[in-house]
Amino acid sequence: MTVYDTCAGEITTTVSPSFEQAYPPAPNLLDNRISGKGNDSCHFPNAQRTTESRFLTAIRKCTLTVLLVASALGVTALLQRELPYPFLFLFFAAVMTSAWFGGRTAGLLAVLLSTLAVDYFFVPPFYSFRISATEVTYFLVFVVCAVVASWVSSSKRKSEEALKQIRNQLELRVAERTAELQISNTELRRSEHQLRLLTEVMPQQIWSARPNGSVDYCNQRLLEYVARTMDQMHGNRLMETVHPEGRDSFGQAWQSALSSGMPLEGEWRVRGAGGHYRWFFIRAVPLRDAHGTTLRWYGTNTDIDDHKNAEQALARTQSELAHLSRVLTMGELAASIAHEVNQPLTAVVTYGGACMEWLSSNPPNVEQAKHAVGRIIKDGSRAGAVLHRIRAMFKKETPAKEWLDINEVIHELAAFLRDKFTAHHIVWRTDLAPSLPKVKGDRIQLQQVVLNLVMNSIDALERATSGPKELAISSRKETETGIVVRIEDSGVGLSPDIAAEIFNPFFTTKAQGIGMGLSISRSIVEAHHGRLWVTPRPRGGAIFQFSIPSAHA
Amino acid sequence: MSAPSSMVFIIDDDASVRDAIHTLLSSIGLLSEVFESAEEFLHARRPSVPSCLVLDIRLPGVNGLDFQDELEQAGVRIPIIFMTAHGDIPMALRAMKGGAVEFLTKPFQKQQLMAAIHQALDSDCVVREREKELSSLRSRFETLTRREREVLNLVVNGLLNKQIAAQLGVSEVTVKAHRSQAMQRMQAGSLAELVRMTEKLKSLPQRHIY
Repeated sequence: MTVYDTCAGEITTTVSPSFEQAYPPAPNLLDNRISGKGNDSCHFPNAQRTTESRFLTAIRKCTLTVLLVASALGVTALLQRELPYPFLFLFFAAVMTSAWFGGRTAGLLAVLLSTLAVDYFFVPPFYSFRISATEVTYFLVFVVCAVVASWVSSSKRKSEEALKQIRNQLELRVAERTAELQISNTELRRSEHQLRLLTEVMPQQIWSARPNGSVDYCNQRLLEYVARTMDQMHGNRLMETVHPEGRDSFGQAWQSALSSGMPLEGEWRVRGAGGHYRWFFIRAVPLRDAHGTTLRWYGTNTDIDDHKNAEQALARTQSELAHLSRVLTMGELAASIAHEVNQPLTAVVTYGGACMEWLSSNPPNVEQAKHAVGRIIKDGSRAGAVLHRIRAMFKKETPAKEWLDINEVIHELAAFLRDKFTAHHIVWRTDLAPSLPKVKGDRIQLQQVVLNLVMNSIDALERATSGPKELAISSRKETETGIVVRIEDSGVGLSPDIAAEIFNPFFTTKAQGIGMGLSISRSIVEAHHGRLWVTPRPRGGAIFQFSIPSAHA
Repeated sequence: MSAPSSMVFIIDDDASVRDAIHTLLSSIGLLSEVFESAEEFLHARRPSVPSCLVLDIRLPGVNGLDFQDELEQAGVRIPIIFMTAHGDIPMALRAMKGGAVEFLTKPFQKQQLMAAIHQALDSDCVVREREKELSSLRSRFETLTRREREVLNLVVNGLLNKQIAAQLGVSEVTVKAHRSQAMQRMQAGSLAELVRMTEKLKSLPQRHIY
């Protein structure tokens, strides 16, 4: 009935036509009943036609009555030759029949006609409407009997009609109820079927478990993906399908969900039929009763492998781009870096020379020599630290987040920038707020952001023709967003249209820029759940600021 | 404490470097004084002994090469040894044209620095000797009367007493008296010596002579 594709995500489902045969659409019984309900004249929409129809019916009833009375008259006339007295019972029959079929009016018409006929033909004197005195009683009895017969017959007919109508109504009700029941039964079966179909064919693997965590149901899609039967999935065996590296974390998460009653959520790799693993988003929620007791757990495994791969590829590309941009920026700072390394090396070499002199003198001045060696160690370490920082900036590593002090990050950068500021005659200062909350981030990437912003400011200062060249780097605590780093310059500033575009990739106002620095900076800040923005500086220049939330893990 | 025989001034914004040079110099018995900026150096009192300046090219506020020009314009004559972490040829050319003794690239060897410092101190010593001699000559020259200076000028131009007397319209005896008085005041032993002295004086700005 249903065909599953083993590769989750692409579903091919074929529903056989047998369903439509098994559950045909409910016939519209109600409508049929309603339309068949009345065949009388009231169904004519036109009032004139109704009047005509009534008139015709009356004619028909009169004709029937006349014919019946005439027949009774004929037959009685024939029978009179054979019988000693007139046989008037046939007139009663005519009256009763007329009343039965024609109603009360027709009955009375029959009584009238019969009375006239009997008076004229059968009550002496014959062939006259006069009645002899002796026959009055007989004639009156006949008339009364005829009237009673007519009344009885029409009443009987009426009650029978009423009965019939009630019965019909009852039948109609029953039919209606039956039809309704049939419809809801079909609907129920249909929705049940669709629900089952949904559970089986939806692009998600579904399972359920008892409150103790023991799995008792897996949908077909899940079973087919892990290539197991339901028996092989009972109890705690769902865990066996999780990648060994993630099995412990899955087990812990599941146990903690079971004990706390909070939903289970996470990304794990699950082993497929061919032994390959794919990333799944596994989620399970508890179903509780009115008292909050967990009745069952319902879980879904959603295939996010492609998404995960794309995400990783994107992160890789972004990281490579960031690295490339970093290397380019560091290239611009080569002279500054050379200076920063050469300074401690110069001190080392010079102290070395002094040390030689102290030791060569007679007697050797060991104290002074020791002092010089101490300084050699200090400055050697300083050069090493600078080189270490430079190497870190050139390294191509996937970003790794750690808890760090943003002031330290800014401070370490000074090594690359000090000489650059001196060379460009820039008056710079740092104003770092003490005891800032630590933020979780990648040290190198955050340094890159500050570096890019500072390089941008240096460029803006270079293009400014007048006024002092000032640059300030500051950090502050912000209750809502964590920490904010601010880079302020007295450079050329930004026009509103440039400000709108400045964070776009490949946008640059520099002759030799590739326009990636600020764009990369923004993506780095956003990857840290922060924000990067620019505002004009009141006294000319620009203020770039970025925030990093401190509470975000 | 007696007056120092020489003094080395060091200007570098990096404390490690200036202290290292200071230590090195003191290890070989040379006195030195360190400054963080050019400004600080300008405001310091400098002893009048043979001295030189070890100057970093990249300084906060002012470029070392510009500072060299500033000193020149201010009439502060001191031999300069430049240091830089990333020098280039145009920089070195400018420094040397401006009269620098040496242009050292950091990190440099002790010998390079010492040779440069010795050369600078020696040249400053010579300059100072010459200046001292000149100033003594000048003060001696300034003791001469106007007539004596006139006679002296004509004597060193090779004129005879008779010719001088004729030119100045005085007697030959008067010329002789002026001449011997001038020789005595200038402390010149011979005519040749007097000529050399006048040549040296001529190298000074003219206003000192007339």
